[in-house]
Amino acid sequence: MSDRHNANSRADDWTRSELAVAAVVVLAVGAAATLPSISSARPANEVPVESVGANASHPTAAAWSDIPAVTMALSSAPSGLPEASNVSVRSARLQAATNDTHAFFRVSWSDATADRNVTGPTAFFDAVAVQVPTNESARPPIAMGGTNNPVNVWYWSGDGASEELLAGGAGTTTPFDSRTVDARAAHENGSWHVAFTRELGGDANRTDLAVEQDVDVAVAVWNGSYEERAGRKAVSDWHYLALGPGPTGPPYQTILWAVAGLAVLFVAVVTIEGVRRTRGESA
Amino acid sequence: MSTDDLQDQGEDTHIDIADGVDHQVAMVMDLNKCIGCQTCTIACKTLWTEGGGRDYMYWNNVETKPGKGYPKGWEESAGGWESEEHTDRKPGEIHPKEEYGGDWEFNHSEIMYDGSDEPLRPQADPEWGPNWDEDEGAGEYPNSYYFYLPRICNHCTHPSCVEACPRKALYKREEDGIVLVDQERCRGYRYCVEGCPYDKVYYNAMTKKSEKCIFCYPRIEGEGPDDEVHATACAEECPPQLRLVGYLDDEDGPIYKLVEEYEVALPLHPEFETTPNVYYIPPYAPPQHSEDGESIQSIERIPREYLEELFGDRVHDALDTIERHRDRVRRGGESELMEILQDKNPAQQYRLEVFD
Repeated sequence: MSDRHNANSRADDWTRSELAVAAVVVLAVGAAATLPSISSARPANEVPVESVGANASHPTAAAWSDIPAVTMALSSAPSGLPEASNVSVRSARLQAATNDTHAFFRVSWSDATADRNVTGPTAFFDAVAVQVPTNESARPPIAMGGTNNPVNVWYWSGDGASEELLAGGAGTTTPFDSRTVDARAAHENGSWHVAFTRELGGDANRTDLAVEQDVDVAVAVWNGSYEERAGRKAVSDWHYLALGPGPTGPPYQTILWAVAGLAVLFVAVVTIEGVRRTRGESA
Repeated sequence: MSTDDLQDQGEDTHIDIADGVDHQVAMVMDLNKCIGCQTCTIACKTLWTEGGGRDYMYWNNVETKPGKGYPKGWEESAGGWESEEHTDRKPGEIHPKEEYGGDWEFNHSEIMYDGSDEPLRPQADPEWGPNWDEDEGAGEYPNSYYFYLPRICNHCTHPSCVEACPRKALYKREEDGIVLVDQERCRGYRYCVEGCPYDKVYYNAMTKKSEKCIFCYPRIEGEGPDDEVHATACAEECPPQLRLVGYLDDEDGPIYKLVEEYEVALPLHPEFETTPNVYYIPPYAPPQHSEDGESIQSIERIPREYLEELFGDRVHDALDTIERHRDRVRRGGESELMEILQDKNPAQQYRLEVFD
């Protein structure tokens, strides 16, 4: 009885060990299949730029539902203005897309009150701005750029006006002689969606978006009900538009992940073998 | 001027005009002459602020004191500087339009053309407006009192509105210290509106920019239709001619004498620390009356504490100086100060071409 029992028990153990090894292999294979996609997931400050065949200049165009949004954390700009740190919007979502001729950006954020009209001295409108460096290759100071490193600012305000501005530091925003940026907005379910449209190409003072390189981008949001205007605004840090060819050079991450995976496999096999030997089983 | 006066005035008078400014325009208003007729207000309004989002603006207004003024409670809304060092500004506040007063429609056409018997009245239910508390003043009969206070932008030597603007859209003109809003640079942020402790910068919701008194610079430059130099419209149109217009640093002019030599023309609310260039001869009033109608010479009708609130503690010396000179003339003596205050030399009233 006992022999049979032992024999049965050994047979069970064999089965268990084989199952364990099989599980580890499956895990390893699964890891090999999934880890590369994890390793190539976009960094938090990357804004993917999708190609759209259609025109996405309308803020509720169907095309926007297929374009990934990046959530940008917003905080007050240290402008030194009265109540500068008292801002109300905490985050905004940015989407970017291009077609053959135009770039489209959509900024969305929660704001229960749509402040569209300035009816008197105490009324302010909601507003949003997208900021990109004039020189695509050099990151300017985040606060409206710098004297030698200006920025393009696309500005929309709740009264429906859109502006294309050049700035080289706080207080220097100047409209371009002719505007090439258009902005359209929709307020739905307590959120603003503002779509900016501009031709891809640039010039001496206009950011060129028909480039094969990443381009920095930042946004700012003003809540009119909170008397936010000028430097009293909620701003993001620099992000970048992924217009470049993507990561290049040796695939260090892939190699590291592969080594880690093999190490896990090796440890698992050694552990199982150790358990079997402890139980007196011959290999 | 007597030796006494020279001693009274102190050894060295100095003129505090802003750095980088060649000359400083200035105005002296004699509050004893103001009859509250609002001709200055209308002169300004018809010239500069008719329509175009400016209906509620009165770059020149005349309000009754004591009173809440225009905009309502402007003296309590802060702004200006923390101290005479001019390093830190006091945060101010923006008044809602209702505290200025709306641009009400009136039933003119019904009365003028449709034969209506209704009284002329605004077609709204206003609760405040310019000089809303007209002639109310303070005190109890028979010793009630009030006086009128005409106000324009003070074109300050240390303008906190200029400092408040993050875009440097406001500036002090180099040639004459007039404070202007560059309409090209202004983006309607209104930090100047809240930064001015006198609430003399106005937001135009139609142009989405801020605006203010320009000291009639085209007039003082002789840029009008007749190519002649004119004083500001508020001054020239004034029936009792209570204003002197010129330059503070024109040492031969009456403004310099009243402000710097006799020190009888004082800025409004000097504690705001903006160093205004509009000055006021503080108001005199008859003494209080007893219940049986007798004058009580020892009690002033307008309490000195109230005048001190408006014009600072120098108001005591100013009123004492004027009283002394009145006495002198009453006793048959001569006083340059009294001659200036009585406009005995009209050619001196507007001295705008002395630095041409």
